[in-house]
Amino acid sequence: MKAQVTGFLKNIVNIKGTNKGLLIQLNDMASYTEILDELKKKVSDPALEGDAEVQIQLAKRHYSKAQLEEIKKVIHDNSKMKVIGTKCDVVTVEECNRMIAERQSETYVGIVRSGQVIKAKGDLVVIGDVNQNGRIEAGGNVYVLGRLKGFAHAGASGNKEAVIAASWLEATHLKIADELETMTDELDSLSEQPEMECAYLHTSGKIIIDRLQELRFLRPQISTFKGGS
Amino acid sequence: MGEAIVITSGKGGVGKTTSTANLGTALALQGKKVCLIDTDIGLRNLDVILGLENRIIYDLIDVLEGRCKIHQALVKDKRFEDKLFLLPAAQTADKNDVNPEQMKELIEGMKADYDFIIIDCPAGIEQGYKNAVAGADRAIVITTPEISAVRDADRIIGLLELEENLEAPKLIINRIRSHLMEAGDALDVNEITTHLSIDLLGIVPDDERVISSSNKGEPVVMDPSNPAALGYRNIARRLLGESVPLMTMDKPKPGMFGKLKSIFSSK
Repeated sequence: MKAQVTGFLKNIVNIKGTNKGLLIQLNDMASYTEILDELKKKVSDPALEGDAEVQIQLAKRHYSKAQLEEIKKVIHDNSKMKVIGTKCDVVTVEECNRMIAERQSETYVGIVRSGQVIKAKGDLVVIGDVNQNGRIEAGGNVYVLGRLKGFAHAGASGNKEAVIAASWLEATHLKIADELETMTDELDSLSEQPEMECAYLHTSGKIIIDRLQELRFLRPQISTFKGGS
Repeated sequence: MGEAIVITSGKGGVGKTTSTANLGTALALQGKKVCLIDTDIGLRNLDVILGLENRIIYDLIDVLEGRCKIHQALVKDKRFEDKLFLLPAAQTADKNDVNPEQMKELIEGMKADYDFIIIDCPAGIEQGYKNAVAGADRAIVITTPEISAVRDADRIIGLLELEENLEAPKLIINRIRSHLMEAGDALDVNEITTHLSIDLLGIVPDDERVISSSNKGEPVVMDPSNPAALGYRNIARRLLGESVPLMTMDKPKPGMFGKLKSIFSSK
């Protein structure tokens, strides 16, 4: 690790150019109010390039959601820079447990019949059909080895990157994070033979259905397989 | 030691009571000792279809509340010497007057005396359903080739699969109209069985005489020439362990003689 993530850094706020845009480093040893004051001073500098995209390096300090919002607001109010993300080296135990749960996969073998609800914290694999009025819900992705004819909800805890994939996708309802799509006839994305398809949340905020083969390009992060020949 | 079979469907009007009466009669015709139990308390019908309405003296509630002995409440069908009995439902009580434990105890006590105890379940998934299923060893789900009936069958199968003491449910597809299936205007047998993915016990063609015979109090299964009767008889044989091929639904094309006959017999 370079000195940037340690307290040895003299500056409370450091702005640095990288090949991916600007990086604002916040000193994790300084007090929060100090950081805010210094940040305000630094970003207001007229010498800074106008509408650059910036990332915030939080180092080994945990900021609450409200604090992060405040930091972003300071940058937003005092410059034209756009915050595209934050990097943090620490997570709370709670966050960590949630992340572990969401990365785990649960498998259900059998038919999810009308009136039945199957829930998983992480990914959910259903081996069997999901019949009409049957409901499957996952914090992560939903995979159905069978006919998905009921209601599927992926990313139930807010993950917008989650996908729904099925051998046969003719669900009545699809939901990803908070976005719900009713699969009515008016939807022109519905195919005659809904074989091997996946649904994902497009950046436009709409649920899109595509061929399963596209998944590796749409959500490359789903693949956790390393190596191979 | 006999076995208790519950006949259920979720949806009303698909033919639970008619099937109970006909399967019970078909098993009695095969020489088995059968008791039919109507659990549709408050809306009893099974007695009417069997033509035993006038012979009821005591009912299920009377038995459960100790006002009479079981044998006093049982109505004997005189057409079958000591083979077919009915335990009628009460008409002046409702489903909440019975609980599943009582039903279980009652049926356990009766199993020794019969080869088959067939329980007619009321429509719905509430108390009446729970009472009907409690004492059963296995379940038969009735559906018709209509989407609404198949949906409800799916729901009921899900609930039946949660019952620990019950064998995997079997399916009967009732009131099949072959011309609608051929035209693709109704779900076909294959579509229904793949959707519900449980074993098919048999199919019963739709026939007007099912209604007329029910109105007369004579289950249609007693007429061996009737197609619906054949469907029920086949199912009864399968329940007894015979392997009977599934009946074909297509009507035989009339030959030359048949055509001539139909010309002369019309009008």
